[in-house]
Amino acid sequence: MIHFFMKTLQEFENFFNQDMMPDMEALDARRKTVVKRGTTIVLVTLVGLLLTSVVYFSLDISKQDNNSFFYYIIIMAVILITGIIFGGTWARDKTFYYDFKQQVIEPIVKFVSPDLTYEPKNFVGSDSFQRSRIFLNRVDRYSGDDMVHGKVDKTQIWFSEIKAEYKTRTTDNKGRTKTTWHTIFRGLFFIADFNKNFQTSTVVLPNRLGRGFLADFFKKMNLSRREKLVKLEDPDFNKHFVVYGEDQIEARYVLSTSLMKRITDFKEKHPNHLYISFVNSFLYIAIAYQKDLFEPSYFKKLTRFSLVQEYFEDIQLAVSIVEELNLNNRIWTKQ
Amino acid sequence: MEGFTTLLIVLGVFILFAILGYNRLVRLRNMAEKAFASIDAMAKKRYDLIPNLVATVQKYMEHERATLTEITEMRAKAVSGNLSDNEKVDLDNKISRAMGGIMVAVENYPDLKANQNFMQLQGSLNEVEEQLSAARRAYNAAVTDYNNACQMFPSNVFAIVFGFKTKRLFEVSEKERQNVDVKSLFGS
Repeated sequence: MIHFFMKTLQEFENFFNQDMMPDMEALDARRKTVVKRGTTIVLVTLVGLLLTSVVYFSLDISKQDNNSFFYYIIIMAVILITGIIFGGTWARDKTFYYDFKQQVIEPIVKFVSPDLTYEPKNFVGSDSFQRSRIFLNRVDRYSGDDMVHGKVDKTQIWFSEIKAEYKTRTTDNKGRTKTTWHTIFRGLFFIADFNKNFQTSTVVLPNRLGRGFLADFFKKMNLSRREKLVKLEDPDFNKHFVVYGEDQIEARYVLSTSLMKRITDFKEKHPNHLYISFVNSFLYIAIAYQKDLFEPSYFKKLTRFSLVQEYFEDIQLAVSIVEELNLNNRIWTKQ
Repeated sequence: MEGFTTLLIVLGVFILFAILGYNRLVRLRNMAEKAFASIDAMAKKRYDLIPNLVATVQKYMEHERATLTEITEMRAKAVSGNLSDNEKVDLDNKISRAMGGIMVAVENYPDLKANQNFMQLQGSLNEVEEQLSAARRAYNAAVTDYNNACQMFPSNVFAIVFGFKTKRLFEVSEKERQNVDVKSLFGS
């Protein structure tokens, strides 16, 4: 059996120091320029605003001319706008963002596995998101980026960062309507071609109710789902998750005792909220994150390993699902 | 008169509880029975694979002829019907054991291991085994629910009154507990 070996952090550090460093240094120089220019502009603008104010207030112009306050505001605005425009043209590095993605994220993806493809602007579609049946809310706004896809040994995978939201409208007593956006899910959305065939859907959700008689009662009362509660026998698994399935047997066929163990282990390694579903022979995993993933920061040194380490670990986490859940174990009829 | 009304109300509530309790027990028992039927269905699916497997394997395996014949006979007995549930389970376990033996023996026949037809059969067999295991687990979950209702207060009162008896759980075999995939038996 061919095993897909995960790269170690040490291997990555070597790769980073040897192969990525020249690009990192060049990119970091650009980052520094941006920060330097940005700081200059902010300082110059602030000095300009301050000087104008000093002149305006100390010379008592306001007492001589009634319109002077108006001119003062105009001058302040001109300085501010000039600062912003300069900041936008002179200080900004337009291509920095995508160069960062191409020179930092892409090499890391390729390092994790050369068979993977990285598309910075692409993301897992909302149709896939809804097909997963993990979140049943209506999706009103959907966005994402940083798509990675390809084959990990025998298993085809796709993942990207996504954000799905729905909106609510409230009207106050004055008749004004206010639209509020609520996040349904934000984080990494992962899809893999599962190693078994199945027809019905099984959804594994975080267990927010705990255990016990009352908790079981409320779990059973989940009326928004067409899937029914599936009581599984693994107590560690049940501590973390609650399972709903359309078919009691198929849910157990998909969630074999070993897979439950593997999912529990995975969960215990990563504290993020984990949502899993099995629909139409595909595996969907949503890993909730509070932060934006794979984004550059102008204020962090790119040549420092700890920064890229985070990118590496987030990508590795997604790819490791294949190994951790043993998806390459194709001993059934599905190849 | 007032006492009579109270009595009527108490009686009414009791009857209502009895009906609800009885219906719940019936529903749980039916679910357990349905789950048992699906184990049967999965077992049949496995029986269907046996003639194919025997046909493919016997060309290669000389030393296991006796086991193969035995499996074929057991299968014939299993599909013939008119077996009690317990007999079914016993026979099923025997077949599982014999098949496990065959699968281990395959190790000695590299030609067979590489045979396309065999590999496909092996995949189907693994699938059926896993489905069978899933069906057993579903059955155990359903029976646990049913047994709980039979033994826990207050539903146990109705279980005793209406004669509902607890059902036996499927013993999960050592193999299933470890969930060894058959592939590891082939050592590939």
